[in-house]
Amino acid sequence: MSDQLVQILEGNTFVVSDEQGDIEASGTDPTGLFSFDTRFLSRWVLTINGQRLSALSTDDLQYFQARFFLVPGSADVYVNATLTIIRLREVADGFHEELRVFNHSSEPADLRIRIDAASDFADLFEVKDALAKKGRYRNRVADKSLILGYERETFVRETWISASAKASADENGLSFSVTVPAHGEWSTELDVVASLGNLDTPSAQHAGRRGHRKARRDMARGLEKWLNHAPRLECDWEPLAQIYRRCLTDLAALRFSPLTMPGHSMPAAGLPWFMTIFGRDSIFTSLQALPFTSELAATTLRALGERQGTRIDDFRDEDPGRILHEQRYGELTAFEERPHSPYYGSADATQLYLMLLDEYERWTGDTKLVRDLEQTARAALNWIDEFADLRGDGYVWYQRRNATTGLENQCWKDSWDSISYRNGDLPGFPRATCELQGYAYDAKVRSARLARVVWRDAAFADRLEKEAADLKRRFNRDYWIADGEYFAVALDCDGRPVDSLTSNIGHLLWSGIVDKSKARAIARHLTGPKLFSGWGVRTLAEGEARYNPIGYHTGTVWPFDNSFIAWGLRRYGFKAEAARVAAGILEAAELFRGRLPEAFGGYPRQLTRYPVQYPTACSPQAWSTGAPLLLLRTALGLEPHDDHLLIDPALPARIGHLELLDVPGRWKRIDAFGRGLIDTDRLRADPGSAN
Amino acid sequence: MQTQREVPAQAEAGPVGQFFTGLAEAGYLATFDGESATLRFDLVDAEAVERWYVVVHDGSVTVARQQRPAEAIVRIDRAHFAAIIAGRLNAQAALLRGLLTCEGSMAAVMTFQRCLPGPPGSTGRVAPISGETAMAGRRTR
Repeated sequence: MSDQLVQILEGNTFVVSDEQGDIEASGTDPTGLFSFDTRFLSRWVLTINGQRLSALSTDDLQYFQARFFLVPGSADVYVNATLTIIRLREVADGFHEELRVFNHSSEPADLRIRIDAASDFADLFEVKDALAKKGRYRNRVADKSLILGYERETFVRETWISASAKASADENGLSFSVTVPAHGEWSTELDVVASLGNLDTPSAQHAGRRGHRKARRDMARGLEKWLNHAPRLECDWEPLAQIYRRCLTDLAALRFSPLTMPGHSMPAAGLPWFMTIFGRDSIFTSLQALPFTSELAATTLRALGERQGTRIDDFRDEDPGRILHEQRYGELTAFEERPHSPYYGSADATQLYLMLLDEYERWTGDTKLVRDLEQTARAALNWIDEFADLRGDGYVWYQRRNATTGLENQCWKDSWDSISYRNGDLPGFPRATCELQGYAYDAKVRSARLARVVWRDAAFADRLEKEAADLKRRFNRDYWIADGEYFAVALDCDGRPVDSLTSNIGHLLWSGIVDKSKARAIARHLTGPKLFSGWGVRTLAEGEARYNPIGYHTGTVWPFDNSFIAWGLRRYGFKAEAARVAAGILEAAELFRGRLPEAFGGYPRQLTRYPVQYPTACSPQAWSTGAPLLLLRTALGLEPHDDHLLIDPALPARIGHLELLDVPGRWKRIDAFGRGLIDTDRLRADPGSAN
Repeated sequence: MQTQREVPAQAEAGPVGQFFTGLAEAGYLATFDGESATLRFDLVDAEAVERWYVVVHDGSVTVARQQRPAEAIVRIDRAHFAAIIAGRLNAQAALLRGLLTCEGSMAAVMTFQRCLPGPPGSTGRVAPISGETAMAGRRTR
């Protein structure tokens, strides 16, 4: 997204405007007011006496609040600017805008202040793919407010616009005829409420009538509480404090309450396209955030459990026990033109769900949730064996059954060309990518622990452990590329290895499926020149036919990916290598002013000096936001063990000392300290030499 | 809706009646394991509102017609409900489309809809696609 755009958000409602605060959506621009995957305003333009305004300055005060200082006229003619206009905008169930007009002259000013408003009610998918609408628009003026409406059969979405000052409303906006006294001021409050028709909660309707003042206070207080509850960071590398604060604030912004769990929050995936529940993204982000807050994990586990698949539905790629991929609320989903109600085409979310359940219990000791979710967990384990093993050979495979709107690649690298052989050829379907097997292994090992400790079913635990051991043995035989000394990215539809070198091998370390004897070779690849750019591990190694430093999953560096790779390196004892990956990503985060994008270019660091942002990357994105948090965990070597938190620091080079105070968990609160020992510059000169 | 009468017992014939009596006969809803809720279904057609109560206690189900308090009230045209229980219409899509309204506990409705069948044509199976076909589909891009 362009830098001139101003974005503010709260939950799955967000506003993207220009620097003046105006919205003029055209084509596939993601500008407007969006809520529940629908655009509720595509036009919102302020004029004074027919003149547009220009911005003197614009501030993002909070993630949900922005302020625009404006003067009449175009930017190059600041003639006689005797008026100043301030717009203060805050997001809630729509947005609230305080509009203040100051007259600096010694004469009264007669002004016609006008807000043009319109909405195309586009589904986010339509904005993305530029599709046409099928329903009817119906705007109406009621009392002093304007209601923009859209109807398609029983599907109704409305935008309610009202003002506190006397306004005359027409079908295209609100007008105010006012005289502002000499050296005086005029103001009004504007409320824009997104109405979902039958889905509206009574509180949303109430907000529509009463304005947003209460919601706003709650949000400001909520953010303060959130920041105060997080562990405190002390560090001698100053950018880290900024990165940490940015991450916590962005994570707060990306919190989202599922319709079924008002008052509880889980991470939505990212702005602007992904402000909704994604199984994989919500789970990865919850894992990253566990040492800082466990609430996101608890809500994610409950919300995804409530939506676990129960039936065979080919359109939604649903199976019994499967954890969902993506939930949407827009028109195309409502009319079953898209399968996201919810869509289940993810081959990793189910295993990741089980991994999160165990990791959550290890941090929190919340055995009640684990007991409550026992049947969910058992159904998930059953999915791995009964529904994911498409070739009947004991591996997790994927192939979409919805051939038109389903996902071809149901792993985190979900673009069409992400899985290829070294020569660039694409394998057929089904495919069994390597990390899916790692996750299945770890899901079984972890579930065995829960079965023994919480569910009190030793026989089940034994069975799971036996299956996991068998999977590990077969995997290390079937996926190993002996001449390259790494694991194939996948098995193809004939069971043959897809032989390209990818970052996926880092997730294998994280899962624990890698034989100890093979781990050093994997660590060497991850920090070697083909995969490691200097900033991070590339999705696909340089030298592979499809390698492209700005290919979405074929050469870019993903901060989230790297955070789990660092965790994997630590799991196998490669402290120096983990610190090196952490150093690269955190130094990139510094240059992105604390906010890591979804992905950035895989160019060698010596070549670009700066990390190059991937052109259409989503930002802020939840699992990028969580990446520095997980890297703090790996740098300090935090590992829950019974009622203790083990601390085994290995800090990135530029950090001399690091303290994380009041780390919450089953031990209540513990302070973690680390001193710098690792010299990553030495490693840079001699990759793979540590350990 | 006071003008509409309650439907007599013979409405229990037909797929809607069979659905509810089937729930009662099965006696257990796995998706409600460990949970309890009473759901009220108001099924509307031109003449009447047909009202059913599904009472779940830790997964065990009874079905009733007599009035009682409910955590969740679902209101929908009888014909659309018939489509939902046959798997021809997805309940969550119906909710988004405005065909179904839900008052009270959205969580209870979400849990309930998970016991509904999938589309009749779904098999869970798909023919493998060869590498050559996968490549051919992409050469034109």
